[in-house]
Amino acid sequence: MEVLVLTLMAVVALLSTVATYLAITERDLLTAVIYSALQSTAYAIIFYLLMAPDIVLVYIPVAVGLYPAVFIVLIKKSERYEGG
Amino acid sequence: MKYERALIAVAIVVFILVLSYAVTLGAMGSTLPPRDLRLLAKLYLWLAINPWTRNLTVMSPEAVTSIVWDFRGLDTFFETAVLYLAIIGTVAIYRGVYASSKSREGPISEDEVGMSPIAKSVTKITLPIVIAVAVAIALHGHLTPGGGFQGGSTAAVILLLVLVVFSLQYSIRMGITKGSTLALRSAGLLGIAVTSILVLILGLLVGCQSFIFQNQPKAYAPVGVPAFLDGMLVSGTLILFNIFECLAVAAGLTLTFILVLTHEEEIRSVMKGDRHE
Repeated sequence: MEVLVLTLMAVVALLSTVATYLAITERDLLTAVIYSALQSTAYAIIFYLLMAPDIVLVYIPVAVGLYPAVFIVLIKKSERYEGG
Repeated sequence: MKYERALIAVAIVVFILVLSYAVTLGAMGSTLPPRDLRLLAKLYLWLAINPWTRNLTVMSPEAVTSIVWDFRGLDTFFETAVLYLAIIGTVAIYRGVYASSKSREGPISEDEVGMSPIAKSVTKITLPIVIAVAVAIALHGHLTPGGGFQGGSTAAVILLLVLVVFSLQYSIRMGITKGSTLALRSAGLLGIAVTSILVLILGLLVGCQSFIFQNQPKAYAPVGVPAFLDGMLVSGTLILFNIFECLAVAAGLTLTFILVLTHEEEIRSVMKGDRHE
């Protein structure tokens, strides 16, 4: 059981690293926000597996709901594509 | 450019491998979480709910909530203060912008503004469900994982969805305004402040020793908030803190979103000095 949990955590952590890398390199900022939300979802799963349900309950609305919303509003008010 | 990206990818892979090797060697303890509890953790678990040690217990089966709002209540109070200072900063930056719908007189019908009827119907269905879940998370904060902040941010997500889907203009007509959210947020904060000195006032009235953030009666301070209400476990001040925190967080975050979603033209006209409050 413990091996299963640790393996799942490792896979999800790896996924979050890939999502972070894509979020940083992506030129379309709207796609970058979606990658960032994907990374947050991976973190929420890790928190759950680490037996911290209180953190999960606050992490899901903030990191998957409120934080992308703030960024989408800011992107709407500025530019969608990163210059360069 | 291509070499640069390859270099970054290799650096990330090397970092992950080194980190996982260090964890395998025992950098974070051999098991996650460690099996042996430290003395402080043992005391927290032993005292969270313990009817036989009434002088030290919090009377809440949720160890996290009893730590957050009782054992280290003052820390949480200042954490809450930091969040509200950030919201006060937002309000101060947008001062004078009252996000009103004064630009258009007369009633606005629901179909004129906002997104498609499908989005509106889905939001109408999910609104009561999510609000019910948020209230349940907040009110069960002393029994199950969750609490005021968790419930409040869950409610803020659906209120944000209402603001976006039904348009800011329509939401303001329906009463989700800067003034009403500011009033609700202030009521929540006032509730937290009063609850934190509730037992202190009680002690002064009775004439015995008591201290701030006191919940249950202690050995030298024999006053407290009842842990049971009509046979129901409410854990004294914990349920009050959770209710007020939920109110303050939901209203405070919604207030920030009302200000952020305000149209640029309105902000510019205030900045140029065309309009005064």
